[in-house]
Amino acid sequence: MASFFRLIAAERLKLSKSYIWVLALVSPLLSLAIGILVSPDKFGMTNDQEKYALLVSSMASFHAMLFLPILTGILSAFVCRYEHVGGGWKQLLTLPVSRSGLYFAKFSIVASVLALTQLLFLAAVCAAAAYHGYAVSLPWETMLTGIGSGWLACLPLAALQLLVSVSWSSFAAPLVINVMLTIPNILVVNSERFAPFYPWAQPMLAMLSFSGEDFGAFALPLENVLITVLGSFVLFLAAGLLYFNRKEV
Amino acid sequence: MKEWVIETKGLSKRYKGRYAVSNLNLKIEKGDIYGFLGPNGAGKTTTIRMLLGLIKPSNGSVHIFGQPLNKEKLSILRRVGSLVEYPSYYGHLSATDNLEAIRRILGAPAARITEVLDIVGLSKEARRPVKGFSLGMKQRLGIASALLGSPELLLLDEPTNGLDPSGILEIRELIKQMPKQHGITVLISSHLLSEVELTAGTVGIIRQGELVFQDTIAHLHQQAQGSMSLIVSEPEQALATLLQQGIAAKKSGDALLFANIGDHAVARIVKSLVEHDHAIYRVEEMRKSLEELFLQIVGEVKPS
Repeated sequence: MASFFRLIAAERLKLSKSYIWVLALVSPLLSLAIGILVSPDKFGMTNDQEKYALLVSSMASFHAMLFLPILTGILSAFVCRYEHVGGGWKQLLTLPVSRSGLYFAKFSIVASVLALTQLLFLAAVCAAAAYHGYAVSLPWETMLTGIGSGWLACLPLAALQLLVSVSWSSFAAPLVINVMLTIPNILVVNSERFAPFYPWAQPMLAMLSFSGEDFGAFALPLENVLITVLGSFVLFLAAGLLYFNRKEV
Repeated sequence: MKEWVIETKGLSKRYKGRYAVSNLNLKIEKGDIYGFLGPNGAGKTTTIRMLLGLIKPSNGSVHIFGQPLNKEKLSILRRVGSLVEYPSYYGHLSATDNLEAIRRILGAPAARITEVLDIVGLSKEARRPVKGFSLGMKQRLGIASALLGSPELLLLDEPTNGLDPSGILEIRELIKQMPKQHGITVLISSHLLSEVELTAGTVGIIRQGELVFQDTIAHLHQQAQGSMSLIVSEPEQALATLLQQGIAAKKSGDALLFANIGDHAVARIVKSLVEHDHAIYRVEEMRKSLEELFLQIVGEVKPS
């Protein structure tokens, strides 16, 4: 375990000097702009609770449908990029580290930046609510469930993108794949039949499951979403570990 | 019984039916500097990658410090420092941070970074991002990374690549000191014999994936010993005369060639030829340089 934390410490150093973590700010800031521009009063809503639901769902749909999956891809590609460019794989793997440990370290770094993004998103929601001057306090429980399960739903994508990024030395190719698989979300989330099984749609389904929307796949309970998430996560992570342990460096 | 730091048995690597390395039996003694020679593409880097567990051998085994590499990989790698092919670096980090990233994994003391930077002469450039470094400076950084964990075995793949002449000299002196000062065993690969001639105690020469020579540098010198060439008036009769006295020679054009003979033998040959009324025009020593012998071994020059 100690050696795993040493790996994490090394990864943290490489990442922190690269300023890629600044990307974690982008989506929360855009969501904040959306949150400020949206005006639930126009819809004739009087109940603050309902206003909250509208505010959060409009902010979360952009964030979870597009930015979050794409950010997952960028981060995964990035933690591999500096290894590909400078021959870092070769050097890392001649150090006393296990390949699975290194893979998990990379994965943990991606997951932590995603967690940071989710927390910033939460802050953005609070800021937007404060701007509109809502009287009732934030529905913490549902909010945190949404934020947390949205984060969990990104982990399978991170596992898959890490696999693609490790195997291809190109920086752009994994990103193109990621965007290609993310864009269909716009259609897929409306489909009751496909959305429950499409990994890229899960962050959105997870984050909006509390919003009370009942069209398409949004009516599904959160448990269903998490089963898809867990299944794809196990599959992608196992594939990644298997590949990385056999990779010739 | 000698203590082998590296011992491979029947080590082979096959890529799509073609052997990049085949049946390699390396033996590297503790405290030695082993020059691993061969032309480009002979399989040097492939071998080193197998020694470090970066790729898995198709056949054969690797033992380092007497332990099997496939079972004890992590504990072996902790005691090995390496530089494979071109140096590895993180361009966006400074030299110090590059070493710090490795140090955190190795758990080496923080003071070691300053030490190794000093050893390779990079102390002044330590704060600059490595992407602005020249190839020679990156090479030095690579050597510094290899030394960071205070290894007992150093595997250096063409370590003087991209260095200027004074840098080459500096690194050569540094490598020479390793066994003496710290008891470190060094394997250094190169495609130039002259590169390791002055430092190595033992050389292994690899050609098309096969080890064609493995012995001490002194033995290599012996093999390179010259032959005598005598140019005489009637070479055929002279050859017959010498054969009668039981002296073997080879005729090549007007010259008679004698392989590996001492001073006394030369004197005797000359005396007997003169007594048989042969005119001797020239007595020459044909010295093969070590480089020629090396090229002959690796098969780039046909033996004359």
